[in-house]
Amino acid sequence: MAFRPHSLSPAVRPSGHTPCLMHDFVAQSSFCSRIPLMLVDMSYIDELMTALGKEKVLLDPAERFVYGADWSPRTPDEFFPPDVVVLPKTTRDVQRTVKIAYEHEMPVTAGGGLTGMLGGAVPIFGGIYIDTTSMNGVVEIDQKNQTIRVQTGATLQEVNDAVLPYDLWLPHQPESKWVSTVGAAIACDNDSTFGVRYGKILNCLLSAQIVTGTGEILELGHRKAHFTSSGYKLMHLLAGSEGTLGVITEATLKLEPIPSMRRVDMLVFPRLGAAVDYLNRLLKAGLCIEAAHINCKRRLKFYTHTYKQKHGRDPEIPAWAEALLAISFAGDQDVVDFQRAYAVKLAKEFEAQLVEERELVDSWWTSKYTLAFDPFKQKWPDSQTKKKFGAADPGVPVGRLEEFYHKFVEVAEKHRLEIIGMNAYLEHPNSIGFSLSCAVFVDYRSEDEVKRFREFHDELCKLAIAFEGTMSTFMSDTYQKAPYLELEHGPSLQYMREVKRMFDPKGILNPGKKFPREAKKP
Amino acid sequence: MNGLEEFKDEIETCFGTSCGFCERGCPIYQAMKVKTLCMKGRNRTMLGLMQGKYEISPAVVEAAFECTLCGNCDRWCSLKNTEHTRAFREYLLKHGVEPFKEHASLVASIKNYGNPWFQPRSARNRWAKGLNIPKAAPGQQDVLFFAGCTSAVNKALVPGLVASAKLLQKAGVKFATMNQDEPCCGSTLLRVGQREAFEDLSKKNVEKFESLGIKKIVTACPGCYTTLKKVLEERGSKIQVVHIAQEVAGLVRDGKLDLRKSPERMTYHDPCHLGRLGGVFDEPREIVKAVANLVEMPNNRYESRCCGAGAGLQSAFPKLSRDLAAKRIAEAKSTGATTLVTCCPFCETQLKTVPGIKVVDLMELLLDSTAEEKEKRNGAK
Repeated sequence: MAFRPHSLSPAVRPSGHTPCLMHDFVAQSSFCSRIPLMLVDMSYIDELMTALGKEKVLLDPAERFVYGADWSPRTPDEFFPPDVVVLPKTTRDVQRTVKIAYEHEMPVTAGGGLTGMLGGAVPIFGGIYIDTTSMNGVVEIDQKNQTIRVQTGATLQEVNDAVLPYDLWLPHQPESKWVSTVGAAIACDNDSTFGVRYGKILNCLLSAQIVTGTGEILELGHRKAHFTSSGYKLMHLLAGSEGTLGVITEATLKLEPIPSMRRVDMLVFPRLGAAVDYLNRLLKAGLCIEAAHINCKRRLKFYTHTYKQKHGRDPEIPAWAEALLAISFAGDQDVVDFQRAYAVKLAKEFEAQLVEERELVDSWWTSKYTLAFDPFKQKWPDSQTKKKFGAADPGVPVGRLEEFYHKFVEVAEKHRLEIIGMNAYLEHPNSIGFSLSCAVFVDYRSEDEVKRFREFHDELCKLAIAFEGTMSTFMSDTYQKAPYLELEHGPSLQYMREVKRMFDPKGILNPGKKFPREAKKP
Repeated sequence: MNGLEEFKDEIETCFGTSCGFCERGCPIYQAMKVKTLCMKGRNRTMLGLMQGKYEISPAVVEAAFECTLCGNCDRWCSLKNTEHTRAFREYLLKHGVEPFKEHASLVASIKNYGNPWFQPRSARNRWAKGLNIPKAAPGQQDVLFFAGCTSAVNKALVPGLVASAKLLQKAGVKFATMNQDEPCCGSTLLRVGQREAFEDLSKKNVEKFESLGIKKIVTACPGCYTTLKKVLEERGSKIQVVHIAQEVAGLVRDGKLDLRKSPERMTYHDPCHLGRLGGVFDEPREIVKAVANLVEMPNNRYESRCCGAGAGLQSAFPKLSRDLAAKRIAEAKSTGATTLVTCCPFCETQLKTVPGIKVVDLMELLLDSTAEEKEKRNGAK
């Protein structure tokens, strides 16, 4: 290596520079003004190197720095780098790491593609970051039983690449599937395009291996059976756990046969509520919907990049239309044709109109799901040179969608944020339940605007609870929602704390997420 | 932060977006799984450096140079990521990082010998011996065949050049070469961070080409193709630049070559500079299809995987470079093809280092498939 060393800075912990935007308990965290080259306590690093091998331990400030932020709106200097990054290859490597962390009471944060939208895998208290993407092997593909066992650093796309030759697929498909890992999908309980037919990751998860906060390896779940009525469903605790109960290292997932074809359509409605009523009617009729997304009128523009590229303008929809429903049916051609025709026929009862312009529909679907236009120009960097996408993810009762939408607009305007719009994703198999993405553009270079975004987000959380709903449907709690957990869960929060203590007695696993970090015992 | 400021907005946009979609197709990231060795992480590394979060360190240098500039990240993103990486290299060299000794020797050789391989200038024209190709002279020829340093001075690659010239001759194309006066295109300089040396060389090259009064340059090497095309376009030259595959595909289409097709299954490897970076995907495939049965690798066209030879990786990080080649060969074998066809001297050399499948140059394949050559071989038997 032809590297000429520069003058090195003294080894100091960063201090002083604490962002005013963070919640109190994060204010004690390791927000980075300058990354120290050496750590005060190196003994646990030596142990990590001995246990894992030097090549699996990253200490260089630049290497640690890049793990200090995820996809969430934050200013460009708001990084929380870990003190050390480890690249495990096996569950045993993770176990060795956690045991050392347990001994030294060091924070351990596990992460995958770092595409979280709210800082879930950002190591806000530094410590050890476990980059699980180095564990992405396929352990077993069981074609007969339609299951796959993988290391959880495998991306959702890698799982699908592996099972494609068997005409099977994992239908849990968030937009981030190219880089979102199986472990992150479970730990974050993120969204899926095809939720209304297949549900989310928990509907695909049969069994999971974790390393607890003491370094114990546990298998949770029901092997290859699709469900169980035995014992407590500890595996379910993992969905949305954010790595606070254990580091998920392997998972057995249920696969589905790949439908032979898919037909996507779009309908416009005079009201958001009319789209909800229409979907209920389709379900009552017995149709098997594969994907259903209700967009407010504003949101459509965010997903029609190729259309705009081609025509130099936004797509036109009728002036009276307030809601757009993107819907797909998949299966054999005859079945799809019948279901589609029936759905179109029923639309008339709801003052809906089919969007005939295929280019608009295809543009939306391509942007939303396939991400395969040629040459690939992602809508995100294009649309985010000045401002970035930021969202709150509340869930509200099905009958109050429209009411909540107006509140969302009101709150966004109050905080002077440019509105992208709302998208309701149906995420529960064969039912109307949806998650909401209430999105705004955030000028992430402005501390003030990031602060206003967080206030907007927090206000929607509280509002969703007041609406008899929930503050999170696909981003989990992270540190952002932690102050409102009591509001959401009431006295049951204490039971959650106890559960956390059982799995992680020293509170080393992803501290600051869901619960404030507890003080170290003297 | 002279050198990176130009990309500050883009680097911050990458931070703002943070989708990480570049990770999926990045050959280096997929081999190493270290986030600084992919574009999202590399952009963040530059951001941290600009913000003074840390100083230049070995990992910073690796983040800049452990990359083949294959452009896969640009495929997934609207940012000019390979340009960021190139500028990152320049920045480091300007700020006290000594060039890798392997890169320094390439640069010295280009300066002293006009090629990166320490071969005398006279070696440059050996390949054309006996082919009766005229030397380019002002106003005499419209078409210049540009052999490129690597093929011209490397005996193992000479048959590809000979095949190219013979095919052009068979189809009646009138062309010339610059013999030993042919310069280096400077691609290597640009990609290892030697921007100033590259600009000096390019200025002289453009003057040379313009003085010859040529209308078209046909390059044998995809690296020369993208480099010369960009340089000439940026300087407002009207000289057209095409790769030999484009030129010859036109001849095949026009029926100017009498070809014999075999049923052999062959797969085609897109060189990064020709495919993703140059946008030429169809013409080489047309040629393969004209003479054999083409089967695609899972990762093809825009998603083709780099062979690992490019942008100084082969010289500075040989093991990693070879690992990438091995992955690509494994992918080629998985198609059931007997032969892997490519049309880049770097890819050809690199992929031949891994056993398991026959690797052939596209032009050699085509020449061997002409009726005349087939008859010759049958006669010899």
